[in-house]
Amino acid sequence: MTPPKRLLATHATKSVGPLTGIRVLDMTRVLAGPFCTMLLGDLGAEVIKVEHPARGDDTRAWGPPFKLYEKQVGAIEGVTSKGGLYRQPPLFKGESAYYLCANRNKHSIAIDIKVQQGRQVILDLAKESDVFVENYVPGKLAEYGLGYEDMKKVNPKLIYASITGYGSSGPYANKPGYDTIIEAEAGLMHITGEANGPPVKVGVAVTDVTTGIYAHSAILAALLSRVKSNVGQHLDVSLMQTQATVLANIASSYLVGGKEGSRLGSSHPSIVPYQVFPTKDGSICIGAGNDKQYKIFTDAISRPDLLENPKYATNADRVQNRDELVALITEALSDWKTDDLVSRLEGSGMPFGPVNTIKQTFEHPQLVARQVVKEVEHPFAGILKLVGPAVEYSTSEVGVRLPPPMLGQHTDDVLRRVLNYSDDQIESVVRSGGAILYDYNI
Amino acid sequence: MFSTRIIPRTTRFRTPLVSHRYQSTVAPTTPAGKTLGPLSGIRVLDMTRVLAGPFCTMLLGDLGAEVIKVEHPARGDDTRAWGPPFKLYEKEVAAIEGSAYYLCANRNKQSIAVDMKIKEGRQVILDLAKESDVFVENYVPGKLAEYGLGYEDLKRVNPKLIYASITGYGSFGPYANKPGYDTIIEAEAGLMHITGEANGPPVKVGVAVTDVTTGIYAHSAILAALLSRVKSNVGQHLDVSLMQTQATVLANIASSYLIGGKEGSRLGSSHPSIVPYQVFPTKDGSICIGAGNDKQYKIFTDAINRPDLLENPKYATNADRVQNRDELVALITEALSIWKTDDLVSKLEGSGMPFGPVNNIKQTFEHPQLVARKVVKEVEHPFAGTLKLVGPAVEYSSSHVGVRLPPPMLGQHTEQVLRSILNYSDEQLETTVRSGGAVLYDYNLPAQDAFDLPSQ
Repeated sequence: MTPPKRLLATHATKSVGPLTGIRVLDMTRVLAGPFCTMLLGDLGAEVIKVEHPARGDDTRAWGPPFKLYEKQVGAIEGVTSKGGLYRQPPLFKGESAYYLCANRNKHSIAIDIKVQQGRQVILDLAKESDVFVENYVPGKLAEYGLGYEDMKKVNPKLIYASITGYGSSGPYANKPGYDTIIEAEAGLMHITGEANGPPVKVGVAVTDVTTGIYAHSAILAALLSRVKSNVGQHLDVSLMQTQATVLANIASSYLVGGKEGSRLGSSHPSIVPYQVFPTKDGSICIGAGNDKQYKIFTDAISRPDLLENPKYATNADRVQNRDELVALITEALSDWKTDDLVSRLEGSGMPFGPVNTIKQTFEHPQLVARQVVKEVEHPFAGILKLVGPAVEYSTSEVGVRLPPPMLGQHTDDVLRRVLNYSDDQIESVVRSGGAILYDYNI
Repeated sequence: MFSTRIIPRTTRFRTPLVSHRYQSTVAPTTPAGKTLGPLSGIRVLDMTRVLAGPFCTMLLGDLGAEVIKVEHPARGDDTRAWGPPFKLYEKEVAAIEGSAYYLCANRNKQSIAVDMKIKEGRQVILDLAKESDVFVENYVPGKLAEYGLGYEDLKRVNPKLIYASITGYGSFGPYANKPGYDTIIEAEAGLMHITGEANGPPVKVGVAVTDVTTGIYAHSAILAALLSRVKSNVGQHLDVSLMQTQATVLANIASSYLIGGKEGSRLGSSHPSIVPYQVFPTKDGSICIGAGNDKQYKIFTDAINRPDLLENPKYATNADRVQNRDELVALITEALSIWKTDDLVSKLEGSGMPFGPVNNIKQTFEHPQLVARKVVKEVEHPFAGTLKLVGPAVEYSSSHVGVRLPPPMLGQHTEQVLRSILNYSDEQLETTVRSGGAVLYDYNLPAQDAFDLPSQ
C-alpha cells in the first residue's frame, strides 16, 4: 500500500483545517501538555500520542468518574485474537472522564523509551513530524537521546516544545510542576477567596489549562516563523511564567503602581453592588456598574428605599457604606428564588448572571444554541460528550474528528503508515519490547 | 484640554519612514542572532478595548506584528482612566494619566485617534483594512456593521483579511447581544460555583481570568487562521467569546459532569482524593502542602517533627487520611501554626515533597525562578519614565519575541500611520482632520519605527 502523501498545499475548503498536513509527535502526559496537543488536533493536525505500554497516560486511571465500557475491550482469546505479536490490552475500569477531556483527535502508540528500539521509533517519527511536544523534567529526555539537540540533528525543521512547571533553566527548573502549588507560588491563590477567609485555589486547574492553550499558540507562531525561515526551534513554556502573565492588571498594579493584590470574594474594589448574593435557592451575581444600573436594580426588586437613602445614592456613597448596603441587599434577595430574579432582571439593562452549577452551565441557552457540547462515538464506551473547540472559524474546519484513543490503539498503523516499517522491522521492535501491539479487535 | 495642530508639517519626521511588510522573504536576523518575530511583517488593525481584546492584540505585538490601535479621540480605551494606581508622568504632558490597568495590556502598539461616527474616520478604517492582515474587534455583534465596518464590508476591500470578533457570548444565539463581563460570565459558566471554600460562598478568581484566557485563545485562533491563509490565500471570520472559552477551561470538571454525571463543587484549596493536599495557615502567612502519596507524607511528618501524625493508623495511608480528613487537617493546622513560612520552606526545600508558599504579588515577582528568567521587563515610556511589565511567557530559541514599544499615548501615531501606511497627502490629512474623523495630538515626540528592537 502506498503511504498517503502529506498535504502540503491544498485549496481552502471547509474540510481542511489550519493544521491539516501537520504532524505532531506528542510525549506529554496529564493535563497541560495533552490539552495543548488536543487543540492542535482540533485544528486538523495529526497527533501521535506516545504512551508507556503498561499504564499509558496517568490520567487513564484517574477516576471515578469513568465511562464504563459498553462493548468488551480486546479480542476473545482463541476466537478473535490475532495472536503472534499481539497482546491483550490492559484493562481499566472504563474511560476516565479526566483522560477523555484532553485527548480527542489523537492516535496512541505504546512505546517504551527505556528500550533502544523504542527510542529509535521516536527518532524515526521525529524525522517525519513537524512538531514535538513533551513535558518531562528538563534534561530527562536528553538522557534518552531524545532532547532538542538530538531531534534537531535528525530533523532541523522540527519545532520542539517543552512544557514544564518552572521553565527549562533557573534554580527551580528541576522541580516538578503542580498546578495547585504554582497557583500558590505565583500569586493566584493570594488573590482568590473571601476577604476575611483563607486563600483558595481555582475550582479547575486553570494554570495547567491556560499553559496548554498558550503552548499551542506558541507552536502556531513557530510554524508561521518556519514558513519564512525553514528551520525549527525550541520553545520553553512553563506553568509559572504563564501564571505570571495571567496576573495581568493585578501584576501591573504592583509592578507599576506598587499596589499589592488582595482577596475580595466576589466583590469589586471600586463598584458597589458588584458581587454575588445568595438567593433563596442559590446565588446570583449582580453587576450594577453605575448609578443608572443601580436604579434599575432597586426598581426591579421593589426596594426604592435602597436608592432614596442618601447613603446609597451614588456609587461613591455606596462604596463608602459598602458593608451596610451589602447586608441590606443580602436580606432583600434572600426572599427571591434565583429563576424569578433572573426573569425579573432579564432585559432590564443591568448586567447580572445566576451562579450556575456545571449542569446549569451546559444547559445555558447560549451554550446549547451554539452547540458547544459535541458527541463522538467511542469504539467501546459508547457516545461521549465533549466540550468542542471554543472558536468558530468561518472557513477552516476545526472540530472533534476522533475519539480519545485506547492505549496503544494505533501502534501498528503508525509504524507501517508513517514509518513504512516492514513486517520484519515491526517484529523486531515488538520482540525487543520497544513497542507493544495491543489487540483491540477493531 | 489637548493641544492639537491641524495643519501638519511635511518635515515633521526626523527619519523617512518605510513601511516594510515582509510577504515571503527569508527573515532577517536581529543583532542578538535571532530571527525577527514570527509575525514580523504582519499588520493588525485593532479596534478592541478593555482587557480580552487588547490582551490578544498585545500578544500578537509581542510576536512582532505591527498593531494599530484605534481609539476614540476624546477618551481612548476606557482603561486609561481605570485607577489608581496610575504611573504618574515624569515629564509634562497634557493627557489622561497612564493607569496600571491600561499599561498591562497595550505594549507593542501604535495608537491612532479616529472617530468612526464620522464618514472620513470610517474611510480611514477601511483604507487601513486594505493594508492589514488582521482586524480584531470586540463590539456587540452587529455594531460595526452598522458603521459599514462589519466582516462583509471589510472582506470586500480585502478578501485576505482575517477578521476576529471577540464578544461575551458569541456572535449568534439568544445571548449574543448581551455585553460581556468577566465576573458575570464566571458566574454563569460554572467557574464561581467551583471556586471558594467548601462551606463558603462562590467567589470569583482574583484576576479576570476569563478575559485573559479569551485573549490568549483569540490570539492563537488568529495564528491558526494566518497559517490557513498561507495555503488558501483567503481570510475568514473568527468568532471568539468569553463564555465558550470559559466552558473550555472547565476541562476535567466539565468532563466529570458531561460523561460521568458528577456535579462540581467548592473545595477551598483541598484535593478531593488526596490528604493532605491543600493550603495551611502558618505563623505569618500560608503554605500549600502537596503530599501526593504515602512516601511524600512521611517526608512531611519527618520534616515537621511530628512522627505521631504518621504512626497513628488513622493516618497511615492516603485512604486512611481521606477517611479521617477533618481530624487530620485540624492537627496539621495546629502543627504548622507555630512555623514561620520561611522556616518551613527551608525545611521542605529539596525534601522531595511538593509544596509552595502562598505568595502575594510582591513575593511572586521576587520569586527566584521568575527573577532568574527575567520575566519582568523594563521599557522606557516617553513621559512616565521606566515601566515594568510582565514579559511574554514563552521563550523561543530562534524567534525574537518581546517588548519593543511602550503602551502608546492616546492617538500618538495618528499622523505617522496616515502618512506612512495610507500615503495620505497633506490635503487628505487636512480633510480628514477638519471633518473630525481623525484627531492629531501634539506630543512633541519623534516618529517611532514599529520595528524598533530593544537594545539588549
